[in-house]
Amino acid sequence: MPFKTERDTVGAMLVVGGGVGGMRAAVDAAECGFKVYLLERSPWIGGRVAQLGYMFPTHDCVLCRGTADHGYGCTKPTISPALLDFNLHPNIEILNNSDLINLRGRAGAFRVTVRRRPTYVSADRCINCGICSAVCPVSLPSPYEEALRPRKAIYKMAPRAVPNTYVVDKIPRCDTCRRCEAVCPTDAVRLDETEHEQQLEVGAIILSLGFSLPDPGEYEELGHGRYPNVIHSMEYERLASRSGPTEGVVMRPSDGERPNRIAWLQCIGSRDQKYPYCSSICCMYATKEAMVAKDRLGDVRCQIFMMDERAFNKEFNAYYEQAREEYQIEYTRCRVSEIKEDPETHDLLLHYPDEKGRMKEERFDMVVLSVGAHPPNSSQDLAEVLGIELNPYGFCETDKFAPLETTRPGIYVCGAFASPKEIAETILDAAGAAGDATRLMREHVGKLAASREFPFLGRLDHAPPERDVSAEEPRVGVFLCRCTPSVDGVVDVDEVACFAESMPHVTHVRPVEYGCLEHGLDTIRSDIEAHALNRVIVAACSHRTHEPLFQRVVREAGLNPYLLEMVNVREHCAWAHIDDPPGATRKAKELTRMALGRVLTAEPVHKLQVKPVRRALIVGGGVAGMTAALNIADAGYDVTLAEREPELGGNLRNVYYVAEPENPQRLLRDLINRTVGHERIDVLTETELVSHRGRVGDFSSVLRTQRDRSTVEVEVAHGATIVATGGREWRGDVYMLGRDSRVVTSEELEDIIAHRPEEITGLEQVVFIQCVRPPGGVEYCSRVCCTNTMKNANRIKMLNPGCQVVVLYQDIITYGFREAFYTEARERGVIFVRYDEDSMPSLSKLNGELELKVWDPSLERELTFNPDLLALSMAIEPSPGTDKLADILGVDLSSEGFFMEAHLKMRPMDFVSEGIFVCGMAHYPKFIEDAIANAQAAAGRALIILSKDRLYIGGVVAEVDQDRCVGCLTCVRTCPFEIPEVRHEDIGVGAIKGAAHIEVGLCQGCGTCVGECPAKAIHLINYRDEQIMAQSLGSWMPEISDAAASRVAAHGE
Amino acid sequence: MLQLLGSQLTESSMNREGNGNKEFVPEITAFTCIYCGYMSADTAGALRLTYPSNVKLVRLPCTGKVDVRYLLNAFEEGADGVYVVACPVGNCHHVHGNERAVRRVEFTKGLLDEIGIGSERLDIVFTTGGMGATFANAAREMTARVRELGPNPLKRR
Repeated sequence: MPFKTERDTVGAMLVVGGGVGGMRAAVDAAECGFKVYLLERSPWIGGRVAQLGYMFPTHDCVLCRGTADHGYGCTKPTISPALLDFNLHPNIEILNNSDLINLRGRAGAFRVTVRRRPTYVSADRCINCGICSAVCPVSLPSPYEEALRPRKAIYKMAPRAVPNTYVVDKIPRCDTCRRCEAVCPTDAVRLDETEHEQQLEVGAIILSLGFSLPDPGEYEELGHGRYPNVIHSMEYERLASRSGPTEGVVMRPSDGERPNRIAWLQCIGSRDQKYPYCSSICCMYATKEAMVAKDRLGDVRCQIFMMDERAFNKEFNAYYEQAREEYQIEYTRCRVSEIKEDPETHDLLLHYPDEKGRMKEERFDMVVLSVGAHPPNSSQDLAEVLGIELNPYGFCETDKFAPLETTRPGIYVCGAFASPKEIAETILDAAGAAGDATRLMREHVGKLAASREFPFLGRLDHAPPERDVSAEEPRVGVFLCRCTPSVDGVVDVDEVACFAESMPHVTHVRPVEYGCLEHGLDTIRSDIEAHALNRVIVAACSHRTHEPLFQRVVREAGLNPYLLEMVNVREHCAWAHIDDPPGATRKAKELTRMALGRVLTAEPVHKLQVKPVRRALIVGGGVAGMTAALNIADAGYDVTLAEREPELGGNLRNVYYVAEPENPQRLLRDLINRTVGHERIDVLTETELVSHRGRVGDFSSVLRTQRDRSTVEVEVAHGATIVATGGREWRGDVYMLGRDSRVVTSEELEDIIAHRPEEITGLEQVVFIQCVRPPGGVEYCSRVCCTNTMKNANRIKMLNPGCQVVVLYQDIITYGFREAFYTEARERGVIFVRYDEDSMPSLSKLNGELELKVWDPSLERELTFNPDLLALSMAIEPSPGTDKLADILGVDLSSEGFFMEAHLKMRPMDFVSEGIFVCGMAHYPKFIEDAIANAQAAAGRALIILSKDRLYIGGVVAEVDQDRCVGCLTCVRTCPFEIPEVRHEDIGVGAIKGAAHIEVGLCQGCGTCVGECPAKAIHLINYRDEQIMAQSLGSWMPEISDAAASRVAAHGE
Repeated sequence: MLQLLGSQLTESSMNREGNGNKEFVPEITAFTCIYCGYMSADTAGALRLTYPSNVKLVRLPCTGKVDVRYLLNAFEEGADGVYVVACPVGNCHHVHGNERAVRRVEFTKGLLDEIGIGSERLDIVFTTGGMGATFANAAREMTARVRELGPNPLKRR
């Protein structure tokens, strides 16, 4: 809804919950120029995802795709996680170990009271040396490792946690010894810290509380907690995680043996009497876990006991098929009622009925309980504090048509707290919630912009202009961090310093106590200036954690950040060779020597600047397109909305009622009225996209449209593009569709029920057939059909209770709270008959009557129906012309024919090409509420671009030296992202026509093409061959080592 | 519950090989990507999983950037052993840079056999960022292997 503010709003947001959704929302809001507080109850952010090993269906290791386990992540935007930016984002302030205890005010101007519980370690001073943990006498089970590994009372969740600091869990036993305080080299441990309250002023609040794990102990018959080899899925995740206690080797808890047979039991804590909803994620993660077991253990037998296989999202069906066919994972349809243990071997005996109802008993080495998702633990209390309503299941109450808004204005929700959901949908929600909130605070959009000019993210308002050092002789400064005692307890830092002094071009060497603390940073900054250094080496800790920090310091001292080279003398020398101090010292010297080679050949790197055009182009005027347009326009930016049909509305025009009470036709009217009436939206109907050129922030498109009854082409300049072209119900010649009026699609049935209900009242039997797909096409779940069938079946039963309603199905996929409609249908007497894919129902006409035959696998016999009305749940297919549009935009399609995003899990609304976004059914079949959330996500992402004063592109990217290019296409074939092209207008070696061109805004900087180019015509900025070869790749430095030794001796005098 | 499993792994990884041939300390170069490869080295350090100090790391943006010339150059300059530490296949941050690296390593192995240096001196290992023990093991194994093989015949004296 357009938000009219009467008073000032505050340009800050509060995100509650630091899981993957909270992180995404926080980063997106921060990128839009808001101040963001990220409140997390536990000491570290990362949430559930941080515990996972692999994601389905991509099998990406989650490690670096946005979790606290890495805490840093992948530095390239195409695959970037939520977290990377965030770790460094100047607009985000993390309030860890904190609770929200009070809320006052109104949307746009809330006053929040936060209780900050002490962590007893100052994050500003903790250098992660771990000495405190080593001396701590208290050992406790680690919750992060699901108690599979112990931790100390002073501890870190994982090696790379965010905030990257130790904390004290002050349990009663930990009170007196204070050894950690005594040994801390930086005085970071403060055991006398007390809790305090903090007041925040924020304009909007986004709740991303996640979910809690059901307690499998509630189901005593399953033996969790009594039988060691019955574990729950999160325990399995840690076992199978490469960062887990066994580095991903699955072992039996009772004896550490390799399991030969593993069973997964589905729907533990879901779809039962007490927890009637479906947790949505377990079918897929159990499949993933079984596949990982197969990968790691080879010939292990994996069996999944389930009710329905709910593979209802993009690429999920192919994944499920792969699991069944390629991985030979067995799926058995039943609920296991009891597990018994063989007390000698700790093997497990499962009793279950097979598909034909015969009881079987089988022995397994290990059983995994697929626990679902319950409402977050804190939700009840927090709902009271916030004054928001919860739904009957204890999750956040939302409106179907405002899926990201809670019942209190100004408070938004995303992720599993709204309903159980997987990572990609959580990310969509999170980006959408940030986008939605942007409208409320539109006068602050872009105010607090953080620049991406540098390799670190930041604002450098007071930094001096960059010094041009190209004409200067190299003057290298070497700063050696002692990190007492982490580094200098092992590495002889003075010896390394002497050695550094002996190296050519080194004009200044300075050991510093703690380079990363304020004093150390000041020293480096002032020394660069005082000694007119033009290249800098910092020998300290990991590039991955500290390079951006030192790059910033170097830039603040007036140097290009790429004139810095780091040496990792902590993780790679002192810590890894703690048993070999001379070896560690020698390696530290060698690495410093390598760094000198690299920094002497380093060149400044600058990015290209683009001033974004402050207009978005949206293709498609259905519910997704209009929602995205309104979101962007409400936030204060212009939109061109192009719709192919004469009228706006898309599929929503044919939706007359939904399974829920809301009225979709009212939504349609409301959206159209607001869109057409909005001063910032240009609506062009009967319009198609003809061409699309340019790069992020600066696109130019040609639209073919109707003006004064003639076709004209207009050009539009825009900064971002959103694809919302939707999908449609497939029509084809199946089951006499179109040839017999008694056979209808579900869309047609809805029209009958809504407009001619009298036709329903006379019916005696209605049969639905689910999963009617184009023959020979790619199989995928169209997601909405099961729920649509429930809504129609229930309506028929309401209008005509005596009518027999039969649903023929393969799997009933009423995920989430939609399970209630399935339950309602069964209660109303709808009959469900499962059919196998291999024996599809067949329809014939006998004496004018329809005769439908289907093989029932559980009864093992054929059933015959003579329906008065046969309703077909047709697949949803991409909108016609989707392939052509993909071609114009230069983006890919998925195996199902829908648009393919940059990353299935982490970037579901972005294309690989920056600045182009996708939402709604163009992405995949989805419900109205999902299309709305998606549209807001796409709008939010577009707003990040539109709200920036300047975009920076390029940096560390590949460049073609066209004078050497023979146009051989090797780079075109090699690039994993399909970026290089050989363009006719570019001239190669010997003036041949056609040379490679690598678009600077698209290159991901991996250098794969560089390694492959036979003519060596491509180089990667900051990784030129000279720079790499200058690091003396093979030789170590015996002679220098001797020289250094004598200098050390002299130094000692 | 699984303390036992964790400790098993740590213990086995802590088992250091004997000192053996004391005179020859091989000089080994490892090329890593800045993602999983480099990170697994960080993890090994953070967990104090020790390995021989004669392995030095060269950072590349992706193992897809590993150039046959870099590998050969390392041997030419005297490295006794060279290996590449890549993300697991299927999990490369740049989709399949690591698979390119495999091919280049294979190709270079052929050259090394041809010129008499021997392909055993070159290898590629796959780790995720969390696999510190695997990284440390790789360094140990490579050191032990190269120690058996003796110094690089090209070594400058």
